[in-house]
Amino acid sequence: MRFLRFVGFAVVRAWQGFWRNAMMSLAATATVILMLTLLAGLFIVISGLNSGLAFIESKVAVTAQLADGVTPTQRNALIADVEAMPGVRSVEYVSPGAAMIRLQKTYQDRGQRLDLGGAPIKLFASIEISLTNADQAGRVGDALGERPEVARIITKQAEYDKLLGVIGAVRTVGLVAVGLVGLTVLFMIINTIRIAVYSRANEIEIMRLVGASDSFIRWPFILEGILCGLIGAVITVVLVAIIWDPIQPAMVRVFQMPTAVSAQFLTTLSLLVLSVGFGVGAIGSWISVRSYLSAAR
Amino acid sequence: MALDSMTATLLRRSVARELEQASSVISMTDLGMTYPNGKVALSDVNVSIAAGEFVFLVGPSGAGKSTFIRLLIREHVPTSGSVVVAGRDLARMRRRHIPGLRRRIGIVFQDFRLLPNKSVYENVAFALEVTGSSRAEIRRRVPQLLNLVGLHEHAQHLPTQLSGGEQQRTAIARALVHDPAILIADEPTGNLDPVTSWEIIQLLIQINELGTTVLMATHNQEIVNAMRRRVLALENGTLVRDEQSAAYEREY
Repeated sequence: MRFLRFVGFAVVRAWQGFWRNAMMSLAATATVILMLTLLAGLFIVISGLNSGLAFIESKVAVTAQLADGVTPTQRNALIADVEAMPGVRSVEYVSPGAAMIRLQKTYQDRGQRLDLGGAPIKLFASIEISLTNADQAGRVGDALGERPEVARIITKQAEYDKLLGVIGAVRTVGLVAVGLVGLTVLFMIINTIRIAVYSRANEIEIMRLVGASDSFIRWPFILEGILCGLIGAVITVVLVAIIWDPIQPAMVRVFQMPTAVSAQFLTTLSLLVLSVGFGVGAIGSWISVRSYLSAAR
Repeated sequence: MALDSMTATLLRRSVARELEQASSVISMTDLGMTYPNGKVALSDVNVSIAAGEFVFLVGPSGAGKSTFIRLLIREHVPTSGSVVVAGRDLARMRRRHIPGLRRRIGIVFQDFRLLPNKSVYENVAFALEVTGSSRAEIRRRVPQLLNLVGLHEHAQHLPTQLSGGEQQRTAIARALVHDPAILIADEPTGNLDPVTSWEIIQLLIQINELGTTVLMATHNQEIVNAMRRRVLALENGTLVRDEQSAAYEREY
């Protein structure tokens, strides 16, 4: 009962404090929104890139073009050998005819037409190997290279590495940006709470004289900072929810991310935004209370 | 025989001292306070104030009255000696026990220190609210106190709508919310005219008669001389006089 009264007291005082210096509090909240929007954007892009990566990983990982004159018997023996290798998920034979159809389709998808100018182009027959783990590509490729039936090995390793590099760069740049904005946010919240403490200096002095405990003096200010962070977080979540409708199909198309459709993704994103908002508010006000309140006793 | 009577006397003395200490609500022993800048504010102060006493603390500005009071409410920690208030050794007191001490001591100042945006009622209620009292307790206690100080009709007024005397009564009501053992009044009449000052003194006497120990720091000679109470006089940080039924100045 006593604890509930304390919580009630602290929440009411925090709420009053927030509106007492509304300009400052709202400015701090605005920076929180800026930071959390950046964070949410970063989370969306990184999730998309990761899912694109997983997509590539799940696709053909090693392609072995077969040498001329490989008989169907030799080919079947090769496929059987490859299937027996560890880390291989499946092996598919692509005939020269099938490869040509695929090539034409690729052009079609781009809105172009494959114009061979009448030249007799013959595509290679190949086997496409998908792996349980993209790391196996090098080993499987090396093993295949030693076989006389195989003319050339093409792996997706380079593509995979490139995307991995992009993701790493995006993550680093994004996190640095969020971190810098985060520092600004922290500064804004520290300052807001400092001003709140100073504007209540008379009350704090009286509270101390009449024997109010430290928690009654401190917690309203800490809650006020948390309020800045949480209000900013809630607004950010609402913003993301609003712009999610146009974003979602793009996520599925561009990043091959089927999970973007599920509510799970938005829930995770909201929880991330809310907890970071809460955290930055709590840390900022805690720093402020520690440095501006204890000195006054 | 001679030895027996001596033992008896010693025994009587030690019992008397123990009784005195048990009933003393403020006890300072060899108390000294030197500020970090080297200024000696108080040195070798020995005072014992019994529960229910009414004591004046006098002395010129800078004599150490403020330090004396700050040591009592544990705003400062003594640099030597000990100060025991309401059974608590303040030199050894932990920080988290300070609020408990402050609830045993009420304090009022020359400048009242009321919250200007709160009514008389709210100013008194605030002291209960911030120490975790229930609404029911606040509703019961505040009117009692406003009755005691004669302000029940002004409960809804803001401090700016009150006279100086009424503001000081509000401050006194606030200081008494936790039913403290001691009421410290630091120049309570400093901002008041003579008639109002007497009214405040009458109120303090009334509170003292209800059992609260009152310590009043003052420059008001007229009041001290008329009251003939115990007087502690400080000069340059030392206790130069501790007399019962005394006057503001030394009389011999």
